[in-house]
Amino acid sequence: MSTFDWGFLVSILPEMLHGLWVTVQLTVIVIVMSMLLAIPLAVARMARIEVIRWAAQGYIELFRCTPMLVQLFWIFYALPVLLGVTISGFMSATIALTANLTAFMAEAYRSGFQAVPVEQVEAAQMLRLNRFQQLRYIIVPQAIKQQIPVILSLNISIFKDSALVSTIAVPDLMFTANTISSESYKSLEVFTLAALMYFAIAFPASLITSNIERRSQLAGQRGAGKSGPSLLTRMMPGNRATETTTDTETADPKKAETV
Amino acid sequence: MSTTDDSIENAAAAPDAESGIDVTRTGRFGKVLVSTRGLQKAFYGRTILKHCDFDMLVGDITVIIGKSGSGKSTLLRALAGLTEPDDGNIRFDGEVVFEDQKRTEAWATVNQEIGMIFQTYTLWPHMNVLDNLTLAPRKKLGLSASEAQDRAEIALDEVGMKQHLLSRSTQLSGGERQRVAIARALMMRPKLLLCDEITSALDPPVAAEVLGVLTRLKEEEGIALALVTHDMAFAAKAADRLVFFHEGEIAVNTTPEEAFSQHENEDLKKFVDAVRF
Repeated sequence: MSTFDWGFLVSILPEMLHGLWVTVQLTVIVIVMSMLLAIPLAVARMARIEVIRWAAQGYIELFRCTPMLVQLFWIFYALPVLLGVTISGFMSATIALTANLTAFMAEAYRSGFQAVPVEQVEAAQMLRLNRFQQLRYIIVPQAIKQQIPVILSLNISIFKDSALVSTIAVPDLMFTANTISSESYKSLEVFTLAALMYFAIAFPASLITSNIERRSQLAGQRGAGKSGPSLLTRMMPGNRATETTTDTETADPKKAETV
Repeated sequence: MSTTDDSIENAAAAPDAESGIDVTRTGRFGKVLVSTRGLQKAFYGRTILKHCDFDMLVGDITVIIGKSGSGKSTLLRALAGLTEPDDGNIRFDGEVVFEDQKRTEAWATVNQEIGMIFQTYTLWPHMNVLDNLTLAPRKKLGLSASEAQDRAEIALDEVGMKQHLLSRSTQLSGGERQRVAIARALMMRPKLLLCDEITSALDPPVAAEVLGVLTRLKEEEGIALALVTHDMAFAAKAADRLVFFHEGEIAVNTTPEEAFSQHENEDLKKFVDAVRF
């Protein structure tokens, strides 16, 4: 049994941080693009014109029902063959992850749109706001606010799933870790550090998500006179299952899928 | 089919030359604001409105009563443009706004003169009261922020809610929310305000306050009001006309005094007795 080489860990830190930076950059670009693209997709998913609705649903199902790795390989290897152009690894990763996250995000938005009471939309109609104004000022702000926990969960997932892009030679954190490990044979130190780095980003984001969920639960219970358990209590192993299921939780498309 | 024995159309005294409406008994202003002829609507094969002929005069309060599913709300929604009738026509302020199963071009110009308030509180919870009131005037009427705010302060003053200009809607009670909803509708300066059971979720004293606001609007602003309500006291006190819907038809269209004291319609008698007690 080998001992943990702390000195080696420190020596690879700059390289690993560079990999983390690539991962963060990729994730931020993907999240921003997906959050914007998902709005028209969610609207199309609810369109009255069947062709538009089916096309949107087809897109969503395609990306929900195929592995992300397959999507990534298809865009990196197959799409250039189809189009006759070269697409860089980073660009392929951006396209694949954005396309994937947009599908899930659109479902989260749709769930939020549908949760806005129809009377609120009718009130907007009675004040003669047009469809775009209804979406812009009434529906989207409320839907996004209501779906923030789901959106944050999806964002945390895509941050972790971005490790898949190492398979197409994007120099992200996972790719860097793999490279160093294969060169140094110090996989214990390298992958422990990689795991800690992913955790250092994802855990605070997860805490924020839980906090927002708790706040929305409390807002829903306001007036009931009894608050829920504390955040730390709720995060203890085994306690999550006993939590009251909120609408936002059931609306999480990825969670719903695993169920 | 309207089977009223004392309908506006059949009234003998001083009929309006164009419409034949009894203006001396039904309104102070004497001008027809809304009329429907042969209005029909079915949902999933069930006819909700059956050949509905309905009239309202400028400045009138018309109270619409009837059992659930009798067509009251469907009529209001058709007048508001939220439901498209299957047949018939609608005139508003002299313009044909619905004909041949579609809205006419005139609808686009007159529709903002019709406001509607709903049973449930429809204030937008992510905005404060000021934003709730000023959004539509800014976006649809092109008012500046300060012009819209001035108008909002006046509208809130009318409903006794000026002190809540910057409150969030979630901080308001049910009655306060409905009063703000009325103020929001007033921002577009409507000629007709449609109220669909707006007091049914309120305690009787709060409901009386809200209805008091509406009566004042009619008296001071001359806004016509069509109210679906089960508040018979309000109907008796404030309404100019009382319309009773039964199974998709206007079964009675008369003054509240006649409806409550002398009317022969058995369905109306049963309904009024059931609501009163």
